[in-house]
Amino acid sequence: MTEALCVRQLVKTYKPLFGEGQQALRGLTLSIPAGAAFGLIGPNGAGKTTFIKVLLGVVRPTSGEVTVLGGDPQDTAVRARIGYLPERMHLPTALKGRDFLRSVSTLKSLELSDAELGQVLERVGLRDSTQRIGTFSKGMRQRLGLAAAMLGQPELLILDEPTDGIDPVGRVEVRALLREEKARGATILLNSHLLAETERVCDRIGVLERGQLRLEGTLDEVRRAASRWSVRFEGLADDAALQAAGFVARDGAWSFEGDVAMLNEALDAARALGLQLVALVPETRDLEAVLAQTLGASS
Amino acid sequence: MRQLLRIAFDLLLEAARRKWFLALFGGITLVLVVLGFSLQLDVVDGAIAGSKLFGSIFLKDIVSTHRVLGALYMGTAYVSFYGGACFLAVACSDFAPELLAPGRIEHLLSLPVARWQLLFGTFLGVVTLAALGTLYGAAGLTVLLGVKTGVWDGQLLVGSAVGWVGFCALYAVMLTSNFFARSAALSGALGITTLILGIIASFRESISVAMNPGLGRTLFSWVMLPIPRLGTLAILSADLAASEPVDGDMLARLLAGCFIFSAALLSVAAWRFENKDF
Repeated sequence: MTEALCVRQLVKTYKPLFGEGQQALRGLTLSIPAGAAFGLIGPNGAGKTTFIKVLLGVVRPTSGEVTVLGGDPQDTAVRARIGYLPERMHLPTALKGRDFLRSVSTLKSLELSDAELGQVLERVGLRDSTQRIGTFSKGMRQRLGLAAAMLGQPELLILDEPTDGIDPVGRVEVRALLREEKARGATILLNSHLLAETERVCDRIGVLERGQLRLEGTLDEVRRAASRWSVRFEGLADDAALQAAGFVARDGAWSFEGDVAMLNEALDAARALGLQLVALVPETRDLEAVLAQTLGASS
Repeated sequence: MRQLLRIAFDLLLEAARRKWFLALFGGITLVLVVLGFSLQLDVVDGAIAGSKLFGSIFLKDIVSTHRVLGALYMGTAYVSFYGGACFLAVACSDFAPELLAPGRIEHLLSLPVARWQLLFGTFLGVVTLAALGTLYGAAGLTVLLGVKTGVWDGQLLVGSAVGWVGFCALYAVMLTSNFFARSAALSGALGITTLILGIIASFRESISVAMNPGLGRTLFSWVMLPIPRLGTLAILSADLAASEPVDGDMLARLLAGCFIFSAALLSVAAWRFENKDF
């Protein structure tokens, strides 16, 4: 499988004029396969935005290797194949929506007609492009930013909080758009605090904390890692002995939290008590629980 | 090149919708229209015999048309230079801070545009804006007076063009400052400061002589050395506009000085921009 982007041992230290430097990325290694929708999650100050800026060539790494779409992000030919929506995009307020898109299309060396620009605007739900950006609501500005990112059908879409300020109906539309982009073959890197959003759009997840990758895998793998299991036994249970083995009574059944190896050990202990396993169901957790558990474990 | 021109064009497009620039072009138009309707010049045999402004005679003597136009053009060149420089410092001070604003610069840098193109595109946009304003005012007045007197003299345009070179040097300072500290207020203040220093630098020899010999005088000479002599440039611009004789060598040196000063500052800005994280 080809990689859309790959970073190895990435370190970024911000060095102020005076005082000690601040390490935003600490040896981050990650690769994202082409065509994937990758959700980057983590607490504030985890280094997510710095990581994105390194991928775009906006921030230069202190050390480590960065390859985006097979090249160096400092290369304008590579950046021409990327669409980016920054968090809190600052748009030129005096321009009209269409003027802004035309400007971006020229800067991307795209030859788009008025009709094509209109189609892109319509796709993000901005029908009236004659208004000045200064009069746009937060959601409309976000939609315009998304339209600019999608111009020219980029191979890699990097979106930082794409639904920020967009109403619930609009969020559904944006999700549909991202699915369309993925179906087209674009790789999506999504950084969002809305974990439910990330869960609905992404098929791969990475948890970043203090500049390091704590957890990475497909959505199912991440949900399952250090997960919770619902267990049913047959036989007379000695509650105290089961609890000592790590099981917790919950809603008339037993529950176990831990990885697969720990689970097997606990099951062996239960069998030794004369119990028979009749049902073992992995409990699916949402990303919020995954994040809380991953960050809790690391701290 | 296309990207650089687009950056400059976007800046012009943005400026065209700002109140400052609408006011500038509106103001110039208003002055030209008012003069067009209220100024009456009676030219007889190359001399202005009777002139009325708003119906009142303001020039009683019979004076040569060239002399009147020369004085008028000289005054206009001074107003254009100093007024234009102050306007530039105030109205153009936030173009670079806007460009470098968080959320906008990341987006621009993520596009297939080189950093130097963003820098020079912004510079080109502002100096083009200054050129358009200068050209509009100077050409308007030249045409107006040409029609009224029948004497066609393009010297005001030449004088204004020389003054415009001074604007380029001023804006190079303003633009460069933003790559060290992004601030419209600082940028504007530095523009005004450079203008004042440029006037002081025009008289650096005579000021230096008046100072006591020693470290202070040496320091003053060294500090003033790289500052373009904007005061002298304004005088030469006005002289050219009034068709007065001008020292060609001095003019060439001044223009070259402004060019080198601007190029040096823009090189510093480019170096800083290339090495800066956003």
